[in-house]
Formats: sequence, structure tokens, C-alpha cells
Amino acid sequence: MELENKKIKIQAKNLNVYYGAKQALFNINLEINQKEVTALIGPSGCGKSTFIRCINRMNDVIDICKVDGSIEIDGSEINDKKVDVVMLREKIGMVFQKPNPFPKSIYDNIAYGPIIHGLAEEKNQMDNIVETSLKKAALWDEVKDRLDEPGTSLSGGQQQRLCIARALSVSPEVILMDEPCSALDPIATAKIEELIDELKKSYTIVIVTHSMAQAVRVSQKTGFFHMGKIIEVDSTDKIFKNPSNKMTQDYITGRFG
Amino acid sequence: MAGTGHTVKSYEEEMQSLNDNLVKMGSLTETQIAEAMAAVIKVDKDSVDKIVKNDGSINELRSIIDEQITTVLVKRAPMAVDLRITLSTLKISHDLERIGDLAKSIAKKVKPLPIDLPDELIGSLRRLGDLVQKQLKEVLDAYLNKSKDKSIEIWKKDEQVDDLTNLAMNEVANYLQSDKKNLEIATHLLFVTKNIERAGDHITNIAESLYYLIEGEYLEGARPKGKPIDS
Amino acid sequence: MTKEERLKKRYNSEKRFKFYGILSVSLAMIFVLVLIQNIVSKGSSAFSRTTIEVDIIYNANLLEIEGPITKEALNNAEFYDLSVESILKIFPSQNAKEERQVLRLFSPDFEYEVKRVLSKKPNKINDIVPIRLTASDDVDQLNKGNFPRDLPEDRRRVSNFQLNIYDNLVEQDKIGKKFNDYFFTKGDSRDPELAGIGGSLMGSFFTIVICLILSFPIAIMASIYLEEFAPKNKITDFIEININNLAAVPSIVYGLLGLGILLSVMEFPRSTPLVAGITLSLMTLPRIIIPCRASLKAVPPSIREAALSVGASKFQTVFHHVVPLAMPGTLSGTIIGLAQALGETAPLILIGMVAFVVDIPGTPVDPSASLPVQVFLWSEQAERGFVEKTSATIMMLLGFLIVMNFIAVYLRQKFEKKWN
Repeated sequence: MELENKKIKIQAKNLNVYYGAKQALFNINLEINQKEVTALIGPSGCGKSTFIRCINRMNDVIDICKVDGSIEIDGSEINDKKVDVVMLREKIGMVFQKPNPFPKSIYDNIAYGPIIHGLAEEKNQMDNIVETSLKKAALWDEVKDRLDEPGTSLSGGQQQRLCIARALSVSPEVILMDEPCSALDPIATAKIEELIDELKKSYTIVIVTHSMAQAVRVSQKTGFFHMGKIIEVDSTDKIFKNPSNKMTQDYITGRFG
Repeated sequence: MAGTGHTVKSYEEEMQSLNDNLVKMGSLTETQIAEAMAAVIKVDKDSVDKIVKNDGSINELRSIIDEQITTVLVKRAPMAVDLRITLSTLKISHDLERIGDLAKSIAKKVKPLPIDLPDELIGSLRRLGDLVQKQLKEVLDAYLNKSKDKSIEIWKKDEQVDDLTNLAMNEVANYLQSDKKNLEIATHLLFVTKNIERAGDHITNIAESLYYLIEGEYLEGARPKGKPIDS
Repeated sequence: MTKEERLKKRYNSEKRFKFYGILSVSLAMIFVLVLIQNIVSKGSSAFSRTTIEVDIIYNANLLEIEGPITKEALNNAEFYDLSVESILKIFPSQNAKEERQVLRLFSPDFEYEVKRVLSKKPNKINDIVPIRLTASDDVDQLNKGNFPRDLPEDRRRVSNFQLNIYDNLVEQDKIGKKFNDYFFTKGDSRDPELAGIGGSLMGSFFTIVICLILSFPIAIMASIYLEEFAPKNKITDFIEININNLAAVPSIVYGLLGLGILLSVMEFPRSTPLVAGITLSLMTLPRIIIPCRASLKAVPPSIREAALSVGASKFQTVFHHVVPLAMPGTLSGTIIGLAQALGETAPLILIGMVAFVVDIPGTPVDPSASLPVQVFLWSEQAERGFVEKTSATIMMLLGFLIVMNFIAVYLRQKFEKKWN
């Protein structure tokens, strides 16, 4: 199948994650292909969010969290001490479950990342970054006349697209999405899904979702997590038409537990 | 298939009812084919009306199954095995309905037949009828047991059906050649034979659908084919 | 019990609860109103003082000036004799005892009041200048109706002779009322009519400024470090418990600390706003740290995640996002902490701020009183005039506290950013 031709962007090898004494992830091995959407599904608390938070080392802020094993991006290890986490997160954007724009203007929301990374030297360069980011996030037309208004004044779906635009503003290579549509209505969800379809042409996307239908619609590859283990990874088509593992089948057909 | 049922009980019930209706439809079709063949062999013109009438309930069941499948698709957006069950059930019910239709048209051909059909004329036909009935019964059993091996076996056996069809057709052709006055009867009998053969093809379809339902893959390879008529 | 009965019972208990609630709120309101009414009714008269108009004869001969009468000479002149001569004319007195009684109708400062007016008017020499002199506390209270006149003479502070003069003056319309600027501008005094809160106001101001300068930055830094950067271990847990405990330590203990360390060991000047400010900042620190940490904790983690995910460092996340969002809560916490410090009395007594200080302090190292201590001091005084002064000071103190609390509420509402 076409899967084989894809270049591997992210590779997790024997990844174990512990929260204090409790182990959250067991021996995860997962390959994520470049410029493709990989969906991670599984019941609550199965470790899929923990996994994507390992990719941009968001777990670093949790004191009791210990990560063991390797994650390579383009072949270089990210858990290495030499890797600067700030540079890593410039390369890997993240979008969260609940839209979380800064309580600042729409413009400042987008400009914040480029400012701290020093991506723009002049005002018009920054204007340019803000405009392209918003355009890529399909939000420009809706907000171009009110960039000074607070980001929190937008609707839920617009806020989430603003957050995506904010992630895009520092030109990442990978975008992690942690249930990006769980707080949105169907129309807003459809817009985000359409956006994901568009973004996968230039970015590698990993999306955690509780909606099986969404995983089918947006992703090319799906991984099923259960109790901190990867049960099955395959093309989305295969997983949802004819999964190899009985547990996967029980989960996606709603026979779980 | 799956050891545990759906978390949503009504989903489970819907799938069960779908299954029940298909099984009911299968047994009705079986009866229809059996009665139609019996009518041909015995040239029992009295049972024709009954057979024609009973076809209505098969069609009715098919409409019900169609409706149920639409509902399941809309309500449950079935995935994986549920999706395959739903799709296969749709296809199988259509095949069964076609078999029912074929039984009806076989029965309709009984009316113009003379009471005293020569035995040598219907020998192969009877064997063909028996084989197809057996195939249908087995495919329905295989469906109930979700047996992969059985479905492959039935699928392969279609070759025999084709062979028998050729044989029966040859018999009728010979009968026709012996006397040009037999044209009308021969034509009817040819239709009957062809219809039974078609029913056999639908049974093969059912076996294929069943295989897909169980395995999630399509039966590979060329369809078994009997020898051409004139060989 | 039927369903209807149960339902009725349920509604009844709900109604009862509502009634008790309203009752307790009303009771609390009544107490507060009674308190305020009591203070206001006692204290409001302190904002006016009684004056007696006297026609001063500007007799330059009594000034004992040698040489020409210049402005400078007038400034150095003694106006006592001149004032006494004119004052005694308001009522004919038989002997020295009666003369003393006439003089005692006026505040001891009459000489300076006369000087203040006349030294600026050398052109009026040998004229008669009417001046409204401050009446003594006794006349003031008499005029305000606080002294019953029907008591026997030996139980009154005002003699029959003085009463006679007073009635005479009232008839001549010489008794008047004036806004009591002395109350705000003068320091403490043994004479109620001359006592003011000017000194303690400045003392309190310096104290609070020092307290703010010391406690605010330390509290903010401490709470940011503890909340955002400190590793979660036994030591930080221990510190946290201790901060919470310190907030509950009685304030007098901090007074002892100030006395023991600041005064005895470090030998800072006694009775000064500097020592008071340092002592109160010790007391205020935990009380500011606790609301600061609470408001830092109230910043939703999603904002931190958002900043971290675009590649902000921990430091940038905290100082670009978390701290600005926590600022309204932090500021209002600080103001409320300072308001508590402003009303604190016990520790100030221990570090010597109860001293009788007449001069208004010009710097934080001058001896001074503070508003709550002033209340404490005056409430112990015997003179009737101090009662109204005490209440008036309480009104001022309450006024400041209310204003500070309003500022706190305003800041919180104005700058609180909405996040969902």
C-alpha cells in the first residue's frame, strides 16, 4: 500500500512513561509518517494524550513524570539532554482540547510565538506572519477587520482555529492535536476537519480523538491505545473496516468493557 | 462473532432482529425453491398460485431489511464487523429476493407444461434442482454458523451446478432436436434450467458476501465456471 | 405521610431556612448600623469647634517691642499681654480668681491665634480687630450641649460665673461655630480643643508606605517562586505550612519581635514609623503571600500550556502570562493586607508608638503616633472633648479602610481578564 512509501517523521521506540509509581505507557513503539494525519484512539486514560505530550515534552513540567525510552524526530533523539525544549516546541506545535487563546488581542495571540523566537524584525514582517498564519488556519476572512479585539471574544470554533493559527505562526513541522473538536459544535468541527485536511499537505499531524468517526474522516493511519499499551496500529481503512485485533474491534464497534 | 455484546443494548437488539429477518427470509426462499422445483417435476399446476403468492412475503421481508439497514447506518454508523454484517446482510437479502423471484418464474413455467413430461427429460433437471436446494440450505447453515470453510466449499461447488446445468440443457436440446413440435415445452424447460442456474449464481454471491462478512476480505480468484454448453 | 404532606413539609423547611437567613443578615445589619450611628453621632461634632469673638485692641505698647515696628519684630513679639487685656474686657471681673476664670474660657493657645492674625496686619495698629478665638474644651462642650447645666456647681467643670459670661456672650452673638481645621492639622495635645490627628495621620501614612515597600515585592517574589518554580518537596511543604501558620499568629507577637530585635538588638529609634513599618510588614507578608498564591493558582493551566506549546520558556510563561493574569487578585490581596496593617494597634503599642507626640513627623524616623493608637490613647483620656475626638478618629480610620477596600474591588473588577 501507499503507507510504505511514506517517510517516517516521528519514531517512538520502547517508550515507557511513569507518573510517580504508576506506569502510564508501556513499551510504546510507533511510527508516524510525514505529511499525514495519524489518529490516536482509545478509551479515557489509555495514555494517548500522555503519548502526544511526550512528543513535544510537555510532560517535562510535571515533576513526578518520568519518561524512559526514545522518541526520534527525523532520526534525532528528542529526550536527549542536549535538545533544548524551547527549540523542540518551536518545531512541534500543539492544539489543546479546550480552545485556550491568550486573553490578548487576536493579533497578539499570533504574534507571541514569533516574538519570543525572534522571527520578525520589523512590524510589517510580523503583520505578514500574522496574516499568513490566520490564512492557513482559514480564519483570516473572519477576523481581518478586528485583529485588535480580544481572542476570547471569538466563538468556540474560531478560538480553536486561532489556536491552530498560533501554533502555525512559528512554522512548526509537526502539529499535535489533543481532542481539538471535543468542545465544538458539528459545524465548527467540520471546519477544523476541513482545515486538517488542508494542513496535512504541509505538516505532519498527530490527533488524539474520542470520535471514531472523526478518526476515520481525517486520518490515514490510526493507533489504538488501551491501558497504556499500543494494541494495534494500521492504516485507518484497515482499522475501521477489518481490525486484526479483537480488542480494537470491540472498542470501535462499541462492545468495550 | 464478538464475545461480548454492544454496550448499547438497543444496538445489539437491532443487529439481532436484522439477523432474524435474514434467517426467516432464507428459510422462506428455501421453501419457495423446493416447492417450485417439486411443481416442475410433478407438473403440479395447483401449487403455482400459492408459490406466486408466497413470493410477496419474501419481497416484504426484503423491504423490512432494507429499512432496518438504513436505520442502523444512520443511527449507529457501524464500524468494522458491524459494518461488514450490515453490508453483507443487505447484499444477501437482495440475492435471496432474486432467488425468490427466480422460484416464482420457475413456478409460472409449470402452467403451460403438459402433465406427462417424459422422465428422461427431467432427470438432470431434478438433480440440478436438488443440488441447488442443497447449496442454498448449506449457505444458510454456513451463515448461521459463520463458517468460513463452508462458504468457500459452497462457492467452489457452483462448478457442479454449472456442469449439471449444461447437462440438463443438452438433454432439453436433444429433446428439441428429436421433434420440432417440442419447441414450446423445450423453451419453457430451458428457461427453468437457466433460472435454477441463476439461483445457483446468487447462492455463490451469498457465499462471497458471507466470506467478506467473516474475513473482511473478498474471495480471491476467478469464479468457478462449468464447461461451456456445446462442449 | 402522603406525597402532598411531604411536599408541603419540604417547602416549609425551605421557607424557614430563608427566614432564618434574612433574620441573621438583618441582625448583622442592625449591629453595624448601631455601631456606625453611635460613632457618627458621637464623633461628628468633633469636626466643628466653638469660637468666641473678641475685639482685640491692637495696642502696640503691650508688645514690648524695642525700636521700630517691623514685620520681623512683630513675628518675634509676645502677644500675651495684649490678648489678655482685650479678653478681660469681655466681662467685668472683681478679682484675680475671676480673671483666671475668664481666661479659662479660651484655649491656652489664644495668644498664638491673636498673633497669627495681628502680626500680618501692622497697618491695623491701634485699631480694634475682632478675632474669633477658639473656646476652651469646657465652653465647646457646653455649646455643643454635652454639659448639663442643672447640676450643682461643685460637680460642674464650668462655674456659675463662667456660665453667666457664656450666656452674656450668647446674647451678644459672640459665640460661633467653625470648621475644625485643627483636628486635621494639629498633633496631639493635652487640651482636647487643640488636639488633632495630623501627627498620627502622617505616622500611619509613613508606616503604610514602608510596609508596602517592604512587603509587596517580597511577597510577590516569594509567592511566584513558591507557586511556579519551587520543586514540590518536603522543604517547600514545610515553608507553605509555616506561611499559613504565620498568617494566624497574633499580631502582638510581631510587636514583641519588633521590640526584641529592631529596638533592643538593632537599636532603631523608638516610636518611629520606620520600626512600625518593618514590624507590620513582617505581619503582613504571609497575609499577602496567601492571596497572591491563590490568584496565581487560579490562572488556568490551559494558559500555561498555550504559552509552553508555542515554545515559551518557564520564565516567559510565568512573567508574560501567569503573573499579569494574577495581578488583579494580587493587588487586591495586597491592599487588603495593608488595610489590616493600617488598623493594627497591638504591635505598635509594644514598639513605643503610644508615646505622647505633639510634633507632626516629617520623616519616617521621627517619633510619631498612628491612627489606631491615637484612638487607643484618646479613649483613655478623662476630658469630655476627647470622646468626640476618639469617635471622629475612628470615622477617619474606617473611611480609609473602606476606601482601600473599594480600590481593591475596583482593581479586581477592572483588570480581571475573562477566560473561559
